[in-house]
Amino acid sequence: MEKTILRVKNLKTYFFTRRGIVKAVDGIDFDLLKSECLCLVGESGCGKTVTALSILGLIDTPPGRIVGGEIYYADLNLLECPREQVRQIRGKEIAMIFQDAQSALNPVFTIGDQIAEQIKLHSGANNREAKARTVSLLEEVGIPSPEEAADYYPHQLSGGMKQRAMIAMSLSCDPQILIADEPTTAVDVTIKAQILDLFQQLKETRQMSLLFITHELGVVSEIGDRMVVMYAGKLAETATVAELLNNPKHPYTAGLIRCLPDMTQAKDRLESIPGIVPSLIDPPGGCLFHPRCDKALAICSQKEPPPVIVDGEHTVFCHLYSHESG
Amino acid sequence: MTDRLESKHIARKVGGIRKLVLILLSACLGLTALLDIFVVEKIFSPLVYLYIALGTIAVLYGVPPLYASRRLIQYYWVRARRNRLAVAGLAFILFLILLALIGPFLTADPTAANFEEKNVPPQGFTIEESVYNPETQQFTTKSITGMRQHPLGTDNKGRDLLAMIISGARISLLVGLFATGIAVAMGTLIGTISAYLGGWVDNALMRFTDIMMTFPFFILLVLIVYIFGAKLFIIVLVIGLTGWTGTARLIRSETLSLRTREFVMASKALGASDSRIILAHLVPNVISLIIVIATLSIPGVILAEAALSFIGLGDPSVTSWGMVLRAGQQNLDTAWWVAVAPGIMLFLTVLAFNFMGDGLRDAFDPRSAV
Repeated sequence: MEKTILRVKNLKTYFFTRRGIVKAVDGIDFDLLKSECLCLVGESGCGKTVTALSILGLIDTPPGRIVGGEIYYADLNLLECPREQVRQIRGKEIAMIFQDAQSALNPVFTIGDQIAEQIKLHSGANNREAKARTVSLLEEVGIPSPEEAADYYPHQLSGGMKQRAMIAMSLSCDPQILIADEPTTAVDVTIKAQILDLFQQLKETRQMSLLFITHELGVVSEIGDRMVVMYAGKLAETATVAELLNNPKHPYTAGLIRCLPDMTQAKDRLESIPGIVPSLIDPPGGCLFHPRCDKALAICSQKEPPPVIVDGEHTVFCHLYSHESG
Repeated sequence: MTDRLESKHIARKVGGIRKLVLILLSACLGLTALLDIFVVEKIFSPLVYLYIALGTIAVLYGVPPLYASRRLIQYYWVRARRNRLAVAGLAFILFLILLALIGPFLTADPTAANFEEKNVPPQGFTIEESVYNPETQQFTTKSITGMRQHPLGTDNKGRDLLAMIISGARISLLVGLFATGIAVAMGTLIGTISAYLGGWVDNALMRFTDIMMTFPFFILLVLIVYIFGAKLFIIVLVIGLTGWTGTARLIRSETLSLRTREFVMASKALGASDSRIILAHLVPNVISLIIVIATLSIPGVILAEAALSFIGLGDPSVTSWGMVLRAGQQNLDTAWWVAVAPGIMLFLTVLAFNFMGDGLRDAFDPRSAV
């Protein structure tokens, strides 16, 4: 049961810009197990999307380049595969959903055409089969009167419906892994709940692994099995969702949780983590979080924190828990 | 909702019928061609086969989608209709197409000379012509009145001007449509590939475009006509293969902004190949621009062909407006109408395409306040 389907090892994706090297992702490790939902959490600009695009080999070169690491899909190192083979895997084995379904759908085709194209491309089905699959997919993602909806253009659908259509498209080839890049950010709360339910349901019925990228801890608690907290291109903490939300070790994770608005208490101001994500061109030495950390020690600005296994699956990258600092 | 379902129904129904009609038509054309070659002589000329085939394909593939999306067409029509000049242009172009399609079957042979009836003025005009009489060794004036057989008069070889103009319409449209088709297809492909792939491909293609732009196309044409002979086909090809540069630039700049849109990334993430993204996703997104560019570049192409014929580099075996213009220009003092008629036709055609192009551009552009 506990089978790793995607293993990311020491992934480094750098962008070579005129102003310097941006280490957008700098040594990330995580495993995605079969039919689990792994959440990738972090502030904007911490490398979540770049990680996802690196997995699919979609980093624009130049300026970006994957300078190191390994990405195993089953036993296949995607970084060493020929381009054409990676292309075959994209969509068919690993599919991705984007944040803004409005702009991720081609405006000049009906959604039915776009989904059918995907099916024909990967499975070689004929028009009639592709059409039938399209309708059943649209039905599966909960679009009412799917026959008719297939003939709508993206602009004729609401935001939630577009996101559903996008999900249907990415499911069209029964992928093993679905990467969802903030799929609920651009839709309102009620739709968000529906979409999350849909993901939950799809994960269960299709036994599919989900890599869910988000910055919302509320979403994580709803859908995630395990979560990975990223900060400035590096790992901060990984654990099961329940463990992490109840017992955060890393000051950054704890800060993120404190930032959640609490509806039961009326506060004057929302909490925030002071400061901003550091410049990735000229990062601070040692732990990248130390300038914003309220528990920073002397060692934090000198040495990168090693992984500390708290217990079982809970790993934190922080000097507070390592033996050297006591 | 009902008309949406209905149009879907139509599209499905038409798909089957279309194949049937195409098969039947090609069978008929094939049989006629066989008869043509082995049994009877000259039922149709080769060009007529081409026209019938192209016309049928245009009707079969053009009309059902237009009918299926008639609501959209109606929307564009309402927008375009407010531009009176564009509608007038469209009307003139339709008239011209009709003239080119069926006119030649109704008029006399435009190349048949008849020296008995030379320099006949258009109907309703009378001119005085001085004729040298060898018996009396004197010049006498003879008045010639326009006649019903030659509504537009004849030239100095007695060829019917109306027939020549109608034949010229066919040639001009042929050149205009085919050369523009080649140019726009090339420009679109080069523009989208250049913008989508970027990097050194973009650089190489755009520098090549620059070179093509600065290359004197006229010298190339003279050279090619010299080598291969003045055939209409070659002229069309050369105009088409040299005229794509502007289109490529425009399409490239439009595609540059399109390729950063997320749907391009999304199709990549779902496993689409580069060629698929270019042909199936980028080109359909610039189609309205392509239509406008094509419409606006047709008059230039027509004028280029006329200019070539005018200076004597045109295909001598076809009667084009440029050629009639050239013939008329030599006899401007005795037969002004020979030059005036093709001149007016050229003028109106170019104007009509330009007006229609402007109208289309406004209709397709959601920002323009029509």
